Amino acid sequence: MFDGLKDKLSNFREDAEEVAEENAEELDDPEAAEEAEDAAASEADAAAGDDAVSDSPAAAASGGAQSGAAVDTASAEAAETDDSGDGDGGDGEEESSAGFVSRAASMARGRVVIDEEDLDGPLRDLEFALLESDVEMSVAEEILDQIRDDLVGEERKFTESTGALVEDALRDALLSVIDVGQFDFLETIAASEKPVTVVFTGVNGVGKTTSIAKVAEYLEQRGFSAVLANGDTYRAGANQQIQEHADNLGLKCISHEQGGDPTAVVYDAVEYAEANDIDVVLGDTAGRLHTSDDLMSQLEKLDRVVDPDLTIFVDEAVAGQDAVNRASEFDDASSIDGTILTMADADSQGGAAISVSHVTGKPILFLGTGQGYDDLQPFDPEELVDDLLADDDD
Amino acid sequence: MVLDDLGSSLRGTLDTLRGKSRISEEDVDEVVKEIQRSLLQADVDVSLVMDLSDSIKERSLDEEPPGGTSARDHVLRIVYEELVDLVGDSTTIPLEEQTIMLAGLQGSGKTTTAAKMAWWFSKKGLRPAVIQTDTFRPGAYDQAEQMAERAEVEFYGDPDSDDPVQIAREGLEATADADVHIVDTAGRHALEDDLIAEIEEIEETVDPDRSLLVLDAAIGQGAKDQAQQFDESIGIDGVAITKLDGTAKGGGALTAVDETGSTIAFLGTGETVQDIERFEPDSFISRLLGMGDLKQLTERVERAMEETQEDEDWDPEDLMKGEFTLHDMKKQMQAMDNMGPLDQVMDMIPGMGGGGLMDELPDDAMDVTQERMRNFEVVMDSMTEEEMANPRSIGASQVKRIAKGSGQPEDRVRELLDQHKMMAQTMKQFQGMGDGDMQRMMKQMQQQGGGGGGGGGGGFGGMF
Repeated sequence: MFDGLKDKLSNFREDAEEVAEENAEELDDPEAAEEAEDAAASEADAAAGDDAVSDSPAAAASGGAQSGAAVDTASAEAAETDDSGDGDGGDGEEESSAGFVSRAASMARGRVVIDEEDLDGPLRDLEFALLESDVEMSVAEEILDQIRDDLVGEERKFTESTGALVEDALRDALLSVIDVGQFDFLETIAASEKPVTVVFTGVNGVGKTTSIAKVAEYLEQRGFSAVLANGDTYRAGANQQIQEHADNLGLKCISHEQGGDPTAVVYDAVEYAEANDIDVVLGDTAGRLHTSDDLMSQLEKLDRVVDPDLTIFVDEAVAGQDAVNRASEFDDASSIDGTILTMADADSQGGAAISVSHVTGKPILFLGTGQGYDDLQPFDPEELVDDLLADDDD
Repeated sequence: MVLDDLGSSLRGTLDTLRGKSRISEEDVDEVVKEIQRSLLQADVDVSLVMDLSDSIKERSLDEEPPGGTSARDHVLRIVYEELVDLVGDSTTIPLEEQTIMLAGLQGSGKTTTAAKMAWWFSKKGLRPAVIQTDTFRPGAYDQAEQMAERAEVEFYGDPDSDDPVQIAREGLEATADADVHIVDTAGRHALEDDLIAEIEEIEETVDPDRSLLVLDAAIGQGAKDQAQQFDESIGIDGVAITKLDGTAKGGGALTAVDETGSTIAFLGTGETVQDIERFEPDSFISRLLGMGDLKQLTERVERAMEETQEDEDWDPEDLMKGEFTLHDMKKQMQAMDNMGPLDQVMDMIPGMGGGGLMDELPDDAMDVTQERMRNFEVVMDSMTEEEMANPRSIGASQVKRIAKGSGQPEDRVRELLDQHKMMAQTMKQFQGMGDGDMQRMMKQMQQQGGGGGGGGGGGFGGMF
């Protein structure tokens, strides 16, 4: 689902790398000239000059192909300056060629100071790219800020290429918003005292009930028994919907009449699980908009009385900027432990994954990727970032 | 409140133009940048935002402001015109016999919208029928049937069939007597080829007069591709935006109408079948840009008042006569609550929401106020009938008792009594006006600008 973002990120990398390379030239240039003059003044001999020139290709070779060009140019110019210095002066020979040694060393690493202004263009493009991918604006800005802090101003040394600098900055920024302490869902279930109560929350129509059915199937396949509890006592057809899933999966579903108290339903399911040695209680709740005070306080009550082991927030991957609003409102009402993003197969941009995990500080646990019961994928942020930054050309 | 931030930053930028008669390119650039931000945060498609902002910039610089128009109003008018131009008018829905088909992503709210539309048509004196063809999602039949029952309209579906095309055909025959046929379909997205093929088949059989795309207000940039695919498959004549009672701004719908060359037909604003409105470009744009809309507010106020009235025999106009009691105050608080989240209501009042009073309040002021209103209700619940009717008679020992009974601090009780006194005072002023018409009151409030002391929403001015 992240294909769009991936393309756009690679555009940013190219642009930013270009900026970095240009700056690498500009910086090396005057300094190299200065050093060369120093050297000339201190009567650097032709051999020293040769050293510098012969060092440079080595440096370039050890550097990446991308920085190679920059370093080459810089060293070529340095060599030129060197020559002219030689021609002009050619006196005093007391000083050693330490200037050249240190210069060569600095070239081998490569240095760069990037001006904020130079990066403005690429960063603005990146901002739009992130927004186009449904990353929420404040989260996008945070990513940009971090990249800016990382790249701009202070002198950076690079061992391989300027490209690596940019890639590292991008990776760090993305990981810092998306990698918020992943935990293993199965391990948590296994380690918790049985029955483990898991409650699912979210706005209307994001796929809570379907996700519950998928998680039940996921658990059953891995040796955990589950019972469903229909805490959605509000929506028309909710009982029938979850019952049908339960029938399809051969599971027990506890439900009360429409209009009943969701807390009581989940409570009953926990008792059922205790009596029948069931490992996990999966509690559904009615979809509610985070602006509905009554329903949100109902959720608070459920959280207080049932005290679930895990509360999972469900949202759809196609959600836009509002995803963070509702995620944080739900987190406030009943603190969430993780998120399931549904409809990840709908050609979504995937920005919701980045925004929601950042704003709640809780990991994305699964992606819903289709209408089948086994269309549920565990989510791994590092893998995602690697994938986003992977170079397709390689 | 992130949402208000964006409205206020746009207003702030526009305010820098205030008083200027000529407009520089830098000014326009600033404004255009803020408009871009607003629209992007409302989930409008990025390339559409770029197109829009380009033409706004061009026109702002090229066109001469009409005489006497400030640069600010000039730009604002262009922004408005461009957006109105884009969203157009509400989709034409003739009040006559017709077949309407609904399509959209899973969970966008098609089934609820079908029932709401049926209810809407029935209120217009037509006889609607809902035909449910979703054979895939568990519980879909039951949901549609129950929703149709709530809307008190005819319903057709077949829980045992797994052929939507057949259900659609038989449903149209079975409900031949109905004037308006609303055909609900299963949720699907653009990449599900088999389901896209299926809806094309349903469309051929149903041959609808119009097909509406049902879109969740919260949908992001994906709206473009989805709308494009649905338009290609079945031809989209209008868009219904759902869940607008949340905080999402529905910019995806703007993208969708642009992509499909259609317009917006209906807005869904709540969970009951009555929570449906016809689309109005002005209010929608106000919402997108985070700017006030008086018209919509007055409608909501009147509706909320009606609801409160239905519950009990209480007439807001009674406020204009006699003594203002705690009963009245409680009713008012409930009426305010019925209108929706306070910050949204406030934001709809020009001069009171963003750009006005609200910008001067700390971010959490609205939450605090709402919290306070709730606490007040709790306090009131611990009062006797006599105390409610005659709050001025409440003495220190009663305050103590009420505080104990309600679990609220004594200060809160006193706060409530002070608040009541202030509101009673305000009401007296309104009584002096001798006119209880709500709309007049709103106007009055608007003229007072800040509205702080003007009795916001009918007497709550003092609370903010």
